[in-house]
Amino acid sequence: MEAYIFNLLNLIAIYGILAVSLNFIIGYAGIYSLAHAVFFGLGAYTSAWVGLNVTPSTFVTIPAAMLVAAIVSLVLALPALRVRGEYFVAASLGLQVIAVTVFSEWKSFTGGIGGVLAIPPVNLFGAEIYQPREFAIVSVIALLIVIAITLALVRSSFGRNLRAIRDSESAAASFGKNVPLIKTVAVVISAALAAVAGALYASFISFINVESFMLDTSVLLMAMVIIGGTGTFLGPLVGAALLLILPSAISYLSFLPQTEIGALQQIIYGLGMTLLMIFRPGGIVGRRSGT
Amino acid sequence: MTSTTIAHGEPLLQVRNLDKSFGGMKAVDDVTLDLRAGIVTTLVGPNGAGKTTLFNLITGNLARDSGEVEWLGQDIAGGKPHLIARRGIMRTYQDLRLFDSMSVWDNIMSATEYGLLPMPMSSAARHRRKERIEEVLERTGLSDKRDTRALDLAYAERKFLSMARIMATEARLWLLDEPASGLDPNSYERFLKILRDDREAGTTICIIEHNLDIVIGISDRIAFLDRGRLLADAEPDTVLNDPELAKIYFGDQS
Repeated sequence: MEAYIFNLLNLIAIYGILAVSLNFIIGYAGIYSLAHAVFFGLGAYTSAWVGLNVTPSTFVTIPAAMLVAAIVSLVLALPALRVRGEYFVAASLGLQVIAVTVFSEWKSFTGGIGGVLAIPPVNLFGAEIYQPREFAIVSVIALLIVIAITLALVRSSFGRNLRAIRDSESAAASFGKNVPLIKTVAVVISAALAAVAGALYASFISFINVESFMLDTSVLLMAMVIIGGTGTFLGPLVGAALLLILPSAISYLSFLPQTEIGALQQIIYGLGMTLLMIFRPGGIVGRRSGT
Repeated sequence: MTSTTIAHGEPLLQVRNLDKSFGGMKAVDDVTLDLRAGIVTTLVGPNGAGKTTLFNLITGNLARDSGEVEWLGQDIAGGKPHLIARRGIMRTYQDLRLFDSMSVWDNIMSATEYGLLPMPMSSAARHRRKERIEEVLERTGLSDKRDTRALDLAYAERKFLSMARIMATEARLWLLDEPASGLDPNSYERFLKILRDDREAGTTICIIEHNLDIVIGISDRIAFLDRGRLLADAEPDTVLNDPELAKIYFGDQS
């Protein structure tokens, strides 16, 4: 039971990093990306490759993961500068689809469908951390650092620039703001932070394959942000915790017929999300509509 | 921002033979106009005369077909909007385009900062900026609303916030697109005082306005546009007493 709790805590911290970094562009820049799992995956594959081929030191694997994700994110920034709203959603979907194909086929880097095995654990100054309980300290600290970075950014002039651009690009430009540059930097930062989650995930699970980085992960991450509350500080964390705990919590409800539990779980889960969006469109933490 | 000094009344921005067509329609047709330092030039003309299009061409929101826009002797036509703004030419929009999700204070604050990275500021500079914003809030009557979301403001307050944003900048030229339209007469005085005070402080202002009280109350020069063409650019009395222009503006009432 203890291992189970710490496993869950680690997953919440890792998905929390993903949700916080996605909220950074959804909530403050109005960039709705359906490609966040791509940067999660890039972080995971890159850190696994560096860990297996160069050095297992986490002080190398994480920066390498961030760097690769940041560079590839420029591919995503390109459409983000040209199109807005639903058009960008479609463009990011395209990147997600391409990435899944590359992750499945580029065997020397990603191991293809079979994935990468025996990824070294987190290694801090030579000390290996693989027990869920110890790893939880690492993952929670990483989450706190990511939260601190994004909070500092959104409360600075950079955050005001982002929100100004989201509210009116033309007015922002009329006050001298370089709209394409600011949006690009936001996308790059978001991708680099998502790669931190990927690196932690790879070293924690020690095995990765393409199934963790597909469209349904991107959709799940977006659901976490929207259900928790876009543009809020706690929202993405609440969303991540809820969507990770809820499915298993439902299976513990003893009055449900155990043979149908899988289908019921999906129905309750889906119904809950729909009702939430009807009655709290701003998310659990977000402001109520009309206030 | 440049700090080149231009004597009062000398041309600060010079528009030369500017053309812009949409499809077959000439929205701005061979317009040549000077905006002179330290004075208020009012653009008048019927709807569709090309007044806002002229603003959009100056600020780079629209690309010109031909012609030049000279700022302090440099051709700026075809430049990107944010670079033109950084030279000291800023504008308001007829539909305001406030930063709706942000507070009044953050709207004004954000208008004054455009760097990618937070600018390292001395505490004295920080203090000066704060005082400047306080002063702008006071002059626009928004002091009590500083923490209110722009979206939640009343109409007149939104109009004044649009002014407040530009007032807080160090722009030398303001292009104001119908800033007083829809204001109640009680707000006119406050509005005119803002313009007069800033003109006094050396700001050059070009304003699109329909309300004759405002036009008469503030204009040093009036430029009259009709169907993209500049029909007059003169002292207010000359333009307002021209029967031909009155006929175009108010319709033929004979």
